[in-house]
Amino acid sequence: MNTFAVNYGNLFSITIPETILEVVSLLVLVVDLGFLRKSTQPARMTAACVLGVIGSVLAGLWLLTHSGTASFAGDALVLNSLVAAAQIGILLLTALVLLLSFQAEFSRNPGEYVAIVLLATTGMMLVAAARDLLVIFVALELLSLSLYVLAAFAKSSALSSEAALKYYLFGGMSAALMLFGFSYLYGLTGTTNLNGIAVSLASQGLSPLVVVAMVLVAAGLGFKVAAVPFHLWAPDTYQGAPAPVAALIASGSKVASFAVLVAVTGSLIPAASASRGATWIVLLVWMAGASILLGNLAALAQTSVRRLLAYSAIAHAGYMLLGIAANTPQSGAAVFYYALTYALTTVGAFGVIAVVERNMGSDRFDAFAGLSRRNPLLAASMLIFLLSLAGIPPLVGFWAKFNLFAAVLRAPGVGAWGLGMVIFALAASAVSLYYYLQVLKRVYVVPAMTDEPMAVSALEQLVLLVIALLVALLGIFPSALSGWIPLG
Amino acid sequence: MTQHLHLWLIPILPFVGFLLNGMLGRRLPKAVVSTIALAFPLASFAVVARAALIFIQVKPQILPWLINYSDWINAGPLHIQFTLALDQLTILMLSIITGVGFLIHLYSVGYMGHEEGYWRYFSYLNLFLFFMTVLVLAGNFLLMFVGWEGVGLASYLLIGFYLDRDSAANAGKKAFVVNRIGDFGFLVGIFLVLANFHSLDFFAINNIIHSNSGISTATFTAIGLCLIVGACGKSAQIPLYVWLPDAMEGPTPVSALIHAATMVTAGVYMIARTHSIFDRAPIALATIAIIGAATAFFAATVGLVQTDIKRVLAYSTISQLGYMFLACGVMAYSAGVFHLMTHAFFKALLFLGAGSVIHGMSNEQDMRKMGGLRKCLPVTCWTMFAAVLAISGIPPFAGFFSKDAILAEAFQAGSLGKILYFVGLATAGLTSFYMFRLWYLTFLGESRSEDHDHHPHESPWSMLLPLVILAILSVCGGWIGYGRFSHLLSPVIGSDIVSPTEASSGSLELILSIVAVAVAALGWFVAHLLYFKPNDRAQKLATSARGIYSLLLHKYWIDELYHAIFVAPLKFISQYILGWIGEGVLIRGSAWVLAGIASLTGELLRRWQSGNLRSYSGWLVAGAAALLLFAAIYANHLGIWIHFDPSKVLPISINPNAAGH
Amino acid sequence: MIPASWYLILSAVLFSLGVIGFLIKRSLITVFMSIELMLNAVNLSFVTFAHQWHSVKGQIFVFFVMMVAAAEAAVGLAIIIAIFRARATLNVDQVDLMKL
Repeated sequence: MNTFAVNYGNLFSITIPETILEVVSLLVLVVDLGFLRKSTQPARMTAACVLGVIGSVLAGLWLLTHSGTASFAGDALVLNSLVAAAQIGILLLTALVLLLSFQAEFSRNPGEYVAIVLLATTGMMLVAAARDLLVIFVALELLSLSLYVLAAFAKSSALSSEAALKYYLFGGMSAALMLFGFSYLYGLTGTTNLNGIAVSLASQGLSPLVVVAMVLVAAGLGFKVAAVPFHLWAPDTYQGAPAPVAALIASGSKVASFAVLVAVTGSLIPAASASRGATWIVLLVWMAGASILLGNLAALAQTSVRRLLAYSAIAHAGYMLLGIAANTPQSGAAVFYYALTYALTTVGAFGVIAVVERNMGSDRFDAFAGLSRRNPLLAASMLIFLLSLAGIPPLVGFWAKFNLFAAVLRAPGVGAWGLGMVIFALAASAVSLYYYLQVLKRVYVVPAMTDEPMAVSALEQLVLLVIALLVALLGIFPSALSGWIPLG
Repeated sequence: MTQHLHLWLIPILPFVGFLLNGMLGRRLPKAVVSTIALAFPLASFAVVARAALIFIQVKPQILPWLINYSDWINAGPLHIQFTLALDQLTILMLSIITGVGFLIHLYSVGYMGHEEGYWRYFSYLNLFLFFMTVLVLAGNFLLMFVGWEGVGLASYLLIGFYLDRDSAANAGKKAFVVNRIGDFGFLVGIFLVLANFHSLDFFAINNIIHSNSGISTATFTAIGLCLIVGACGKSAQIPLYVWLPDAMEGPTPVSALIHAATMVTAGVYMIARTHSIFDRAPIALATIAIIGAATAFFAATVGLVQTDIKRVLAYSTISQLGYMFLACGVMAYSAGVFHLMTHAFFKALLFLGAGSVIHGMSNEQDMRKMGGLRKCLPVTCWTMFAAVLAISGIPPFAGFFSKDAILAEAFQAGSLGKILYFVGLATAGLTSFYMFRLWYLTFLGESRSEDHDHHPHESPWSMLLPLVILAILSVCGGWIGYGRFSHLLSPVIGSDIVSPTEASSGSLELILSIVAVAVAALGWFVAHLLYFKPNDRAQKLATSARGIYSLLLHKYWIDELYHAIFVAPLKFISQYILGWIGEGVLIRGSAWVLAGIASLTGELLRRWQSGNLRSYSGWLVAGAAALLLFAAIYANHLGIWIHFDPSKVLPISINPNAAGH
Repeated sequence: MIPASWYLILSAVLFSLGVIGFLIKRSLITVFMSIELMLNAVNLSFVTFAHQWHSVKGQIFVFFVMMVAAAEAAVGLAIIIAIFRARATLNVDQVDLMKL
């Protein structure tokens, strides 16, 4: 019963970054509702966002300065270098999203907006660290509930509430499926700890209940990472949610979900039992293949840049699922690298979309026409983001794909099927270039309807440039993160 | 002291200049643009000068000085670091690049003063300096390749600088395409190096070679030949020289900096840098020597009859680069680098002088319409005279020492070397002839200009100052002497295989020098006869040898030959075969298929992604069911459920000890 | 004594009813209740397993599920109110502005 020997001091020391975020989120509410009620809307938004950014930076600094490994309550929560890398990445993404929210006009309650963003971030960080079904569930729900609320934040927009409703109902159903799967895993093994589950499953044969549990868990996590066939919410939510929220859903939430998927995969594929591992891998590979195919094909037909990014996100989730299915330490690290860099690029792309939407009132292709004339820097940033997403060297997206596919090919036991999947994924990502170029064609080739410059605040411009620079520099120096993420 | 030396500043400073002018230049006043454009290369030159002082005078023993800035690429077995390396050769190259580079920047302020896109020109020029310094500082092949490609890009942009000229665009394209062929060879060479040495680091490779790693001569030869292809592309040697004459479409200072003094010598630098590979590949060496001698002679003959002042200089550059190749081919790398240095001085001067003439003549480049400019452009005239004496190999001007060194080394390098020596000697005569022809036609005699409204005018001080400085260098640049120069460089490019030429006698060298000077004087004399005073001797000579004259005038019809052999068939293939199959079927077809897929998926999606939540949930459940089915079939396929017994599943048999609780 | 499997079967049936309710009902409120039904089926399953294993973990899990379900209800109702304000309908089939 050592599981229940809870050392609260230990818990606190592991969760100091999360605690910082919680305290700051309460502080934001106090400051906003207590002191700034009479201030103007932009002032309140600025104050709240500044506080939020400070909180994320503080939490990130704590993580950066306190490296090491620790665990709480029999590995319910763990902290190691990879988890810390994921958490720092999540904090960075949150800070960027908040920086891009300064100009946001969708909400009249900035304090609540920032507080809930910080709550969602807490959820993401806990998800990345959780190694126990109960903690995974609670953390995922904290993340999901916060994101549902955030998606509905533009109260005057019918699209926003519809996006939230779809996200919420779909998420509720998926959560119920996953929970049902969790209950079976618990029933089969008598424990909720991932390590315990791995040990116990290894000692028993594959029963139908295990397969059912696996499928149910796959449904729950598949929803979070937007993998086919659990992806249908994604395009509508990406389109309807306020741009910074969509960026958060597409970035930090993805990183956290892939982190937990890697952990769960490690527990469901015990080395001793190849067959059960194989079943889970088959599930992942099918989801990966379907996601890559459908995501890329559907993106071809889009005329809204947000929906295009949503479908491309589905395809990217497919690539990463392949890496998870390979299930080696290298492929796990490669998935981390992919998720983090992909998320960074996506935040940038949504930042550009937000600017264009504010100016043009739409995110359709024609709204981007002539962007290169109207704001060359914005256009150049978009160019870098989209080419990186397409995996063009020397941008970071190329190295992410390179590392991922190399890790898949180097995994033991990858036969002709694995090679086939990688070739298929490469061919699909070649197709993806077509639709990214469709956007860039609008940006650079198609003449603008008007020549007036695209209004953009200095801060937004700066943040987007910094992200673009990061994407380019990480591509030129692909080993820059190697101290963080051991790609082997 | 050395730890305060920031090598990275050398390339980064011009890069900052490029960024500033490239991003903001359009909106900045000209004075600010030129200040930025001059300040950053000058600062870079200051860093180089400091490094040179530290290392040459204070602590030469700690060269080569390597700095690993970070890991660059770690992919499986491939580990490449971001290494900058400083040694004697690098210091020399950097001094030329940033020093001459700065002078040419300064010159450009005057020369390009009235041009549209002033800021664009300077941002490209700074970009070029960035890549060129990266190329030279690179500690490994890959970083060098980055610089190699980068200078190609800058060269392309600057050749095509005059956006409104079709010929400029075509010349840029030609340079780019021809260089791609060379780059292909270079890349293959790099891959071969990686495959055989498992490293791309120059110094690691040297260590492997010196430790007798058992790599065969055939391997060295293969690597060497591939690298030669790369060097021939960049340094405009036969058969890849064709882009350089056309590159004269760019602004004249660009021709001086990129297409005479620095970029085109990158091939020579690369061979010198990787000489330990070539030292062990005699066939590759012989190839370099033959290519070099052939190019030197060939280009010099073409230069005899050209009438465009810049074209003469272009062919002269190709010819002089041939000398450097010849030197490398007989393992006299330091002689090649010596000539590289003196050539950078006098050829940059010649181009800048030609630019000054063109500037003064309001963009006239045809020497037949010049003449008599001695009085209007005195500074240009006499500085160029120094350069002409230098390139012709008249003592004590700079070119004499380096050319003499190359010829002497060639003469002492076996029987092949002796043959090539005579080729080189003949070339020296031709060189002297066409250079004096150029000078006589341009500056002496009476004006032949048809345009009497414009009086040629001397250039502003910003253009004359570089001319004067370069003239001084062209006079004194060789006084260090080949012996001391080669001793200085010997830690880097001293051949590590003892060559038979070590025991050369002073008297032989003296005789060779006298012969070389005599041949040069002969060339001068002939030029004097034909062009010093207006006469029809040249005309008569041309008519009497009409065949040869026309052959030379049309540059041996090589461009036409290449066009017929390579371009036309390629055009035919691309137009008719690839055009029909490739574009018609593959490209249009695939676009059609993609569009078809797009509209088909659109149709499918309209049904699937209906926007209706209940149908979404239905698909979710159906998807989960399908996955369950897959998993079940798969598990069954594995033979796990052959003995499926529901009663064993429900109720679950609980063993409280199973999970350790 | 009632065998454990009966509870599990009941739980599965309840869960399926929840899924079916989710799929066929048009009213947002009913759809919402179907999710609650699914969660309660999960709870039943957890309690059964906890009883079988003589382990309290499953019961703790149930408390967390109930707590999260309450939070989810609060968020869900808020979203439903937002929908009603924006669209003046609670019919799921009419919330389909975004498609393709």
